[in-house]
Amino acid sequence: MEFKLEAHRIVSISLGKIYSARGQRGGLKLHKNLLVSLVLRSARQVYLSEPGCPPEPPPAAAGHPEEEPPPCPAAWAAEEPPPPPPQDEAGRDCQGPRPRRCCCGENRGGCAGAPPPPHCPRKRSAGERGQAGSPVKKPRREEEEPPPLPPPPPPSPPGEQEDMETGNVASLISIFGSSFSGLLSKEPKGRRRPPLDGGEAAAGTAPAEAAAEPGQICCDEPVLRTLNPWSTAIVAF
Amino acid sequence: MGAILKPRTLPRLRAAPSRSRPRSRPRSRGSPRHGRSVAALRARLRARAGDGPRLGSAGPREQARPRRAGRHRRLMRERGGPEGSGPGQGAGAALSLPPSLTALSPSAVVARAGGDGGGSSEVQWCFLQVKGAIDEDVAEADIISTVEFNYTGDLLATGDKGGRVVIFQREQETKSRPLCRGEYNVYSTFQSHEPEFDYLKSLEIEEKINKIRWLPQQNAAHFLLSTNDKTIKLWKISERDKRAEGYNLKDEDGRLREPFRVTELRVPTLKPMDLMVEASPRRTFANAHTYHINSISVNSDYATYLSADDLRINLWHLEVTNRSFNIVDIKPTNMEELTEVITAAEFHPHHCNVFVYSSSKGTIRLCDMRSAALCDQHSKFFEEPEDPSSRSFFSEIISSISDVKFSHSGRYMMTRDYLSVKVWDLNMENRPVETYQVHEYLRSKLCSLYENDCIFDKFECCWNGSDSTIMTGSYNNFFRTFERSSRRDTTLEASRESSKPRAILKPRKVCTSGKRKKDEITVDSLDFNKKILHTAWHPMENIIAVAATNNLYLFQEKVN
Repeated sequence: MEFKLEAHRIVSISLGKIYSARGQRGGLKLHKNLLVSLVLRSARQVYLSEPGCPPEPPPAAAGHPEEEPPPCPAAWAAEEPPPPPPQDEAGRDCQGPRPRRCCCGENRGGCAGAPPPPHCPRKRSAGERGQAGSPVKKPRREEEEPPPLPPPPPPSPPGEQEDMETGNVASLISIFGSSFSGLLSKEPKGRRRPPLDGGEAAAGTAPAEAAAEPGQICCDEPVLRTLNPWSTAIVAF
Repeated sequence: MGAILKPRTLPRLRAAPSRSRPRSRPRSRGSPRHGRSVAALRARLRARAGDGPRLGSAGPREQARPRRAGRHRRLMRERGGPEGSGPGQGAGAALSLPPSLTALSPSAVVARAGGDGGGSSEVQWCFLQVKGAIDEDVAEADIISTVEFNYTGDLLATGDKGGRVVIFQREQETKSRPLCRGEYNVYSTFQSHEPEFDYLKSLEIEEKINKIRWLPQQNAAHFLLSTNDKTIKLWKISERDKRAEGYNLKDEDGRLREPFRVTELRVPTLKPMDLMVEASPRRTFANAHTYHINSISVNSDYATYLSADDLRINLWHLEVTNRSFNIVDIKPTNMEELTEVITAAEFHPHHCNVFVYSSSKGTIRLCDMRSAALCDQHSKFFEEPEDPSSRSFFSEIISSISDVKFSHSGRYMMTRDYLSVKVWDLNMENRPVETYQVHEYLRSKLCSLYENDCIFDKFECCWNGSDSTIMTGSYNNFFRTFERSSRRDTTLEASRESSKPRAILKPRKVCTSGKRKKDEITVDSLDFNKKILHTAWHPMENIIAVAATNNLYLFQEKVN
């Protein structure tokens, strides 16, 4: 269980680093952010695995599937409608956003990316790699494109997909700004989920939601999963 | 850049369109900036002894003056030495040396330190000098970010976060002060890079000097390349000791004369003047890197050099600023798939077609420019299999290579990752031939080091002239030397306490297990803000330069 706590702590620290890297002088340091994202990925992987699992090697070392399959199907099966046991207490809140999010055609593919159990570790890793990489890729991309000021101007290609994603970014940015200090300083009460329809309105209500959510574990789970939509974000170079 | 590259004989390209290359003193090119920074630097470097300005009025024309016979003015004083009185004082050490040392002939000194690498006997280091302010409050701009000796070791260049370059020159030996040979004093100071703003991306470009590389000397002037995150500049440092006088259209004060007042013509004559050292930018190599430049390396053909950023390596010709060839590009089409970045690159010291680059994954690739114009396919791939038992969340970070350096012989290369230094034989790709643990006791503290960002520190490493010993830095102002043949390692500290002239450095030890012996330091009491990232070794002698935040320490081998 301490692995989970450790992993969670590392996840928080990593996200803090990514966030603070946005404003630093000299622009984004690609190397450092890449390393932070790798740590984030490993920690996330450990965190999302069953408590019994020892710290897993990162996705690259896919040679340990034998350790994963037994707990994995449980984790993944449990993920969909009923939350895993540790997150029971806040199951209702987790339920809320998930179906909403899963309504989106794009997201459904992502969060139902629970692959067939035998291939679970590897594919989950692939999916999560995309997920975990996304929030980091976003700041990295920003280095190359005209800087997106929150809220970022939507890229010219049409599609509600982009609007939603930029909205996600905007919301996440604003939420990081508002409730992140709470995340690091005290027992994190939780973080909001990025709204599907984007926009400040949802972001405005979200902090209130975040405050209402009990338990850190539950609320991190959806956040970690909502990193998924960004894996398909358009690179507007 | 789709041009076919001919590595050995680059097409003779036309020189870049001539920009205004003022031959006059820096003053006319905006040297108020130079002057201001020189004066400010000098003020900062002034010792606590508080000697006043040594070089007369600190006007914009003022430049640091080199030491010549008969001129013993110095800009700074070493701390800890006896307080001398006048400019003719010379090194404070001269007063306190025992008579036996004064009888030592200079040739013996050279022979001893002549790079035998401490074959059988261990090298003992003693303090030579320290440069920099003593203040506890260190301005960020004063933090030294790179240190480099030139090819002869007579010049030592340092760059700092404020974009300034300070060059030290080694004292010439004089009969009157035979033991003061080996001291380095300020030769030139100039502002190499300024902070810039990229309007397109709304990003500020830091002026911090990332690397300095000297060019071999081909005439009286010295040339060096200095780079920040985006732009590389070629600087010429030249001495001027003559001045033209007797212009027809100009007064001695510089005022223009009316042409009709000129009644007779005369030929201006050259008159000697006080020696001045000028630094002028000769080339600016800009706009070739999207990401942050981390390395530059001059080729052994002395005509080309490479610059590496996180994802690309470019090849330049020193004469051409408006074009560079891209020779390595590891940027994936989809940035989502990015897994590694380039962390360092260097040309082979003898084969001008070979270079290596290291990655954040702990691998090194050796490329041969003869094989293709774009060297994405490596010729050799160096990677040590990972030890699965030491896996942790931070395994990737600590395996990221922060520096790669070829040995002088060209047979080996050395890589530095967070906890160790590895020596590789170029002929063996599957594992290094030697691995030295720099500070293995930090392995259990990786999580805290991740929190305070220390795990991202990029330590450099260096070889001595004979490739027998390697050196790298650590925390708490410790630096470590490893003698390769005897496997002897020494931990030394760059501190004010040991800054007495000729004081022998006492080896330090970090206590790793329970009981702390006397003079040992526990891991928890290490100061992680005092880190030695940049070190340099004289190419021929046992003199080392160690940058500790804003101070530059110079140590010399002890002579008996």
